[in-house]
Amino acid sequence: METLGYLGQGFGVATTPLNLLTALCGTLIGTVVGLLPGLGPINGVALLIPIAFALGLPPETSLILLAAVYLGCEYGGRISSILLNIPGEASAVMTALDGHPLARQGKGGIALSISAAGSFMGGLIATIGVTIFAPLLAKWAVAFGPAEYFVMMVFAITCLAGMAGNKPMKTAVASLIGLLLACVGIDANSGVYRFTFGSLGLADGIQFVVLVLGLFSISEILVLLERTYYGQSALKTSGRMMFNMKEAMLVKWTVLRSGVVGFFMGILPGAGATMASAVAYMSEKRMATRDNRFGDGDLRGLAAPETANSAAACGSMVPMLTLGVPGSGTTAVMLGALTLYNITPGPLLFQTDPQLVWGLIASLFIANVMLVVMNIPLIRVFTKILAVPYWALVPGIAIVTAIGVYGVHATTFDLFLMIVIGVVGYILRKFDFPLSAVLLGFILGGIMEQNLRRALSISNGELSILWSSPITWGGWALVVLMVVLPMYRGWRRRRTAVPSNP
Amino acid sequence: MIYQRLFLTALLVVYAVLAYAATTYEAPFSYEPVGPRAFPLLLLILLAAGTVYLIVRPGHMAEENADTPLTGHVLGRLVLCVVALSLFAFFFERLGFVVSAFFFAIIMCRLYNGRWITSVITAAVMALAFYGLFDRLLDVPLPLGVLSGLGG
Repeated sequence: METLGYLGQGFGVATTPLNLLTALCGTLIGTVVGLLPGLGPINGVALLIPIAFALGLPPETSLILLAAVYLGCEYGGRISSILLNIPGEASAVMTALDGHPLARQGKGGIALSISAAGSFMGGLIATIGVTIFAPLLAKWAVAFGPAEYFVMMVFAITCLAGMAGNKPMKTAVASLIGLLLACVGIDANSGVYRFTFGSLGLADGIQFVVLVLGLFSISEILVLLERTYYGQSALKTSGRMMFNMKEAMLVKWTVLRSGVVGFFMGILPGAGATMASAVAYMSEKRMATRDNRFGDGDLRGLAAPETANSAAACGSMVPMLTLGVPGSGTTAVMLGALTLYNITPGPLLFQTDPQLVWGLIASLFIANVMLVVMNIPLIRVFTKILAVPYWALVPGIAIVTAIGVYGVHATTFDLFLMIVIGVVGYILRKFDFPLSAVLLGFILGGIMEQNLRRALSISNGELSILWSSPITWGGWALVVLMVVLPMYRGWRRRRTAVPSNP
Repeated sequence: MIYQRLFLTALLVVYAVLAYAATTYEAPFSYEPVGPRAFPLLLLILLAAGTVYLIVRPGHMAEENADTPLTGHVLGRLVLCVVALSLFAFFFERLGFVVSAFFFAIIMCRLYNGRWITSVITAAVMALAFYGLFDRLLDVPLPLGVLSGLGG
């Protein structure tokens, strides 16, 4: 009941004209960014941080903007997956599996509308989930001390690696690189300069915006440059745009199940939308016994990942808001944006800034409705945007990126740093290291080290404080589970692979 | 595969340099038991272990990279793109935003297969529009450089 009261208050915040307008702009920008080939929510949100800051928006409004862009990107990403077969980002890969075959069969319109409806349902289920679970988790998380936080962060990192499917070690290395990057600059406790090698530009650490834009924007520009040599063309949508009752009934249970799965996967720190869409797709594929056409245009195979990734996008707000531990690359960027406003996310946020938290949750509901209303009639307009050529798009992205980075400190040092980070990011990407893990590591690094050192200060250097409370036991148990799980999976894969070899 | 191993070996060298640097981090006076050195060293040790594991067992690559092989031609373009970015950064303050962005955008348009005439027009529009948008409307101060006599 108390929750409903707060939610009402949140709607009060979210429905002020400024915030409504922001949500509308955010959903529009998000859809456009998401559907541009190669650009995903991280790029969209990262490019908007400097702009939101420059506009002088109050924190809750800019958070609403970023959240609306995030949801919009998840909606928009499906358009390029379905029509171009180029997923804008990792979480849309599964959408392309069945979406693109549908479009080739001339059912592009149906595919787009049913995936929009799926995204809406996923977002709705997950936002209800956020409303119920976030306050509970926040209440519980107030009991966290530094030791518990440290264990939680270790869990987030191992979870990221453990859930990464086929490349746990690469994910682990990527997140460790992120953690290490967070150490650069003056150490807050002792004033020692770490890894600056005498450079003044690095004295205050690597700026968050520089890292994000370097990793995601610059490396993306380089990837797009490769792609200009392997061009694709968009399929036309023709015929019926709206799905009918029969199709809706076919995917009904798929959508409900995938929404719930997506939400819980989104809550897990580090698992995020990519895992959620993969898990939902795989489990629906296994469950579909009647006319299973997964892989060549099954509506269920399209609805499952789309529902799940929208649900996960909302679900990942839960750990961000309650623990200050981001659930995905994009929420990591949002977390960074909050710290720019001097707001420390964590359990206390629910008490200190209720209008921010509940305004955000309420605007998730609103943005979702806006998106579904906008997406069905405007779909033809959006598909036109797919025709924007790279030569017009990429220079624009590059220039906005440079402005965003320059705007932080007004030094060209940051521009060079961004290019270096971008090139290294591109190489890492070529070798299949997930960049979002680097980013998550970077965000967690500072808090992780601080909490470790605080915990050990409390215990006077006694390491046993790290496993002295029931919460830490639970945390370590989860860590062990996440380390064992990929090993078990690898072992099982090898075991099932052996008999198939003659 | 060989490139990946080379890259990973290069990473190991970087870790070694960083670890050497980290061993010198000593707090002049300390009121906490851990100090600034322990956490980075711990990370470096874990990183080295993980990287060695990857050198031994690199695993397979994702399909995304398999269907866009890096040919010499593409590589040349990539280098050009990075050079263009660096030049942009170098001239950003020296020539000012509008001028440097104009030339940079021309190069970028050409790199992404734009035609000369469209590239020049796009670049001019972008340089002016972004300056107007960010410097004038959004209050992100951008350097005017050689044009500082013109605007104020």
